[in-house]
Amino acid sequence: MATNTHELIICIVNNGFSDTVMEAAKDAGARGGTVLNARGTANKEAESFFHIAIQPEKEIVLILVPLNVKDAVLHSLYEKAGLDTMGQGIAFSLPVDNVVGLTPWKAAEHKDAEEKK
Amino acid sequence: MAEEKNLTKKPVVRKKVHSKVSMNRLKILVTTVMRSKADFYMDYIQSFGANMQFVLYGHGTAPREILTALGLADPERAVIVSVIGEDHVPAVLECLEEKFRTIVNGKGIAYTIPMASVIGKSVFNFLSDNRSQVRRG
Repeated sequence: MATNTHELIICIVNNGFSDTVMEAAKDAGARGGTVLNARGTANKEAESFFHIAIQPEKEIVLILVPLNVKDAVLHSLYEKAGLDTMGQGIAFSLPVDNVVGLTPWKAAEHKDAEEKK
Repeated sequence: MAEEKNLTKKPVVRKKVHSKVSMNRLKILVTTVMRSKADFYMDYIQSFGANMQFVLYGHGTAPREILTALGLADPERAVIVSVIGEDHVPAVLECLEEKFRTIVNGKGIAYTIPMASVIGKSVFNFLSDNRSQVRRG
């Protein structure tokens, strides 16, 4: 149990774009995530005023990342799944205090290497 | 002029009225486990004094090689969100970690997020399981 070593990145994207999000996050150093289905709501009046269609079906991607890669992941998400892209994604991070159950990355890599041999 | 001054001062005065909780702050405990183990973990966390929890169903995205290396072939996950008092957190996490290690297919991840604010005394007492604060009769 360690304190303040990780942050939880929450990324809300249009349905079907969770793969884009995970790809972007993995490029920046994230390991895995959890995808939840959700329904978004938007201001109907503003939607018609700006002639923008907001797709209500959303996917929420939860990604737990170490502090040192958090900024890289957020930047990567902004570029590859941000509001200017088809995914129309929003990403933010929450501080996380205590994390248990994560397998140390180095150990997993080591195991893979051994299996290949 | 005098009224304007009052208007600008008002929020400052109001801020002082807010009481700040410094004892037993609340935390949001997020536990991600396999879907079939969701009920077990919910009951388990409840036994530590989590009075409100809910479960979200999602799916994991870790690459297949890592999943199989960890013995997690099924991507269906449950995300359990529980609200728990800070004083229970070390015990819960320690016991959860043990369960993650020992239970077959019970591997998971748990972490806590600090809760910034709660409105309502009874809500706070309910969430932090302050049974002694409740007047009976």
